[in-house]
Amino acid sequence: MNDERLKYGDRIIYMEGICVDVDDCSISVDLKGRLGYFKAPKRMFVCDTEPKIGQEFGWHMSFPEQLGAEIHEKYVSNLEKERRKQAEMSARLKKEEE
Amino acid sequence: MSITAETAKQHANDPAVLCCRAEAGVIIEPANLEDPAIFDELVDSGLLNLDGCLKIGQVLGAKLTKTSDSLSPLTADNMEGYKDSVEEEAAPVEEAAAPVEEAAAPVAAAPVATTAKVAGGVLKIHIGEGKDIDLSIPVGALGEGGSEVVEVAPAATATAAAPVAAPTAETLATEGKVIRSLTRKHFAITEVKRGPETKIEGTVLTIREGIEADVIADSDLVKDFHLEVVTPAQYHTYSETIMDVQPIATKEGDAKIGQGVTRVIDGAIMMLSGTDEGGVQIGEFGSSEGYMDENIMWGRPGCPDKGEIFIKGNIVVQAKTNMERRGPMAAHTAFDIVTQEIREALKKLEEDLVVDTEEFTQVRHPGQKKVVICKEIMGQGAMHDNFILPVEPCGILGARANVDLGNLPVCMSPLEVLDGCIHALTCIGPASKEMTRHYWREPLVLEALADPEIDLCGVIFVGSPQINAEKFYVSERLGQTVEMMDVDGAFVTTEGFGNNHIDFASHHEQIGMRGVPVVGLSYCAVQGALVVGNKYMTAMVDNNKSEAGIENEVLGNNTLCHEDAVRALEMLKTQMAGEAIKPAEKKWNPNVKASNLEAIEEAIGTKVDVVENEQALPLSQKRIDKGYN
Repeated sequence: MNDERLKYGDRIIYMEGICVDVDDCSISVDLKGRLGYFKAPKRMFVCDTEPKIGQEFGWHMSFPEQLGAEIHEKYVSNLEKERRKQAEMSARLKKEEE
Repeated sequence: MSITAETAKQHANDPAVLCCRAEAGVIIEPANLEDPAIFDELVDSGLLNLDGCLKIGQVLGAKLTKTSDSLSPLTADNMEGYKDSVEEEAAPVEEAAAPVEEAAAPVAAAPVATTAKVAGGVLKIHIGEGKDIDLSIPVGALGEGGSEVVEVAPAATATAAAPVAAPTAETLATEGKVIRSLTRKHFAITEVKRGPETKIEGTVLTIREGIEADVIADSDLVKDFHLEVVTPAQYHTYSETIMDVQPIATKEGDAKIGQGVTRVIDGAIMMLSGTDEGGVQIGEFGSSEGYMDENIMWGRPGCPDKGEIFIKGNIVVQAKTNMERRGPMAAHTAFDIVTQEIREALKKLEEDLVVDTEEFTQVRHPGQKKVVICKEIMGQGAMHDNFILPVEPCGILGARANVDLGNLPVCMSPLEVLDGCIHALTCIGPASKEMTRHYWREPLVLEALADPEIDLCGVIFVGSPQINAEKFYVSERLGQTVEMMDVDGAFVTTEGFGNNHIDFASHHEQIGMRGVPVVGLSYCAVQGALVVGNKYMTAMVDNNKSEAGIENEVLGNNTLCHEDAVRALEMLKTQMAGEAIKPAEKKWNPNVKASNLEAIEEAIGTKVDVVENEQALPLSQKRIDKGYN
């Protein structure tokens, strides 16, 4: 199990956030206290009623810890490919719109 | 939180700890005690020490001698008048909240009806398995505490013994009632190329050049489309996230899904990926793209097999619709235009090109235990959706999305499932999602259908909505549907993990509270640990195959396979025979699966082949980085 690599894995804190976007796939949450933002698939949220913008969400989390100093070229290259593709496609889209 | 008398009885052999402050002199009752289910964590975190702690069965009715705070263990030091030992009638039934299982597997247990002596005022009758059993119990015998011996009617003994003599597939199958059959004719394809028209000549499939324009014209939302043929030599190429894998199959004549003749192509499959106009992947939640040979778990029910040719379509949908329901729906619908054209060509093929014929027969075994399979499918929206019952196998036309059907239970015959009644839009989480091809080769349906020791009555699909109120709404309907079926046992399966485990647990409850034994199958392991549990979730099969118990982004890795189906079947048979399933360990332990399989192999006398996991793939840099070797 990889969690053995965590040094502070048991430091669990209670967090709250505000739902800032809901689409058919995902829910986006702004963490209270200007602590960031995350977006996750709907199935990872537990909702008693229909999720809506402005609602509060709460959860426990810990601190993401670096698992090592190495840079993984595979990920970097995938990201780069993805970024290039998106740039090209966005440029084409923009051109078509004009 | 205090416990009820019922819980106290169940946990009679567990440690007794105060749930809240109690004054000296209090007589301990269940309301004073904490639920033992939470002790493991408290002990682990050092908040509780159970050394010398008395058991619940010992302390009930005894007196507390010292005023104590909440979470104080009851020991000989602060109690008086407690029992020396727990009375035997208290059965230690434990709730399995953790996703692990243990199958006791007395598969070969002979279906013997044991009779029946009235001894010491207790009438004990144990019937392991059997049918048409008549019991005659003299009225006087019970009241008198008596001397009479109760006998099982001779006729019943004979029929109950019958399965012992002949539990072979042949004899039971002939005894069974044939409902319908389905024939699969396989046509081999060894080459896929582009040409002026879509046709199949011998084993060469040609796809019309310019079909891309038809796909694009299908919907305003589809902005671009590329078709690519990937041969085994090109497996080591980069691919975006694979949305779905589909077999290419069509019905002969007017036959409906689940009956008649189906033609299917061997050697080539349809594969779908897609982005929006901005290049953002459909259902974007981070990367799982990469080299195909490193990211596909070959041979999983839902995945391509090694050696197959991929007819791979990449659809571009209107900007920003990649996260809307209409985006993925348009992508799947448009891509089916290509598949449909191949289906039309497949229909025209001569019979002499058939390379293999499979016959599936749905046989009911009225004398055996009646079993239903409940398959929970995603229904939260967008690509968390499935098209149910298209006209063509795994097609789109004629199908209804389960979200539009309110995610309510829909009953299918096992042959409908194997004939492509589900076109899955497939969720995120590559390792545990059930793609369209998965249902085509659903291992649990195949295994249960072929097992003459049970009477598989059908398969119920039930969607998993987003909102809890809706989850419980559909789950109650599922319970009611199962109740009406009068089954003796049920399977509940689910794909992926997340809030669908809430309904998964509720399905267990709804079925279990009706007195029906239930076995659950899901990916759980480490990351998919169940969100909730209840007392009916005692028999669980974990679909995990990954070494670390995680969603490892390898397509199909943690989906339901043959070995899981075998374990689940034996577990359900064990439960239906009234045997207990050992409670789960607290933490995920992959050895449980190995020992389950060993027990099964020992009982049935044959080896259960276990599929490979990601360790068998060429190591991607990704996994080298993660420390695998």
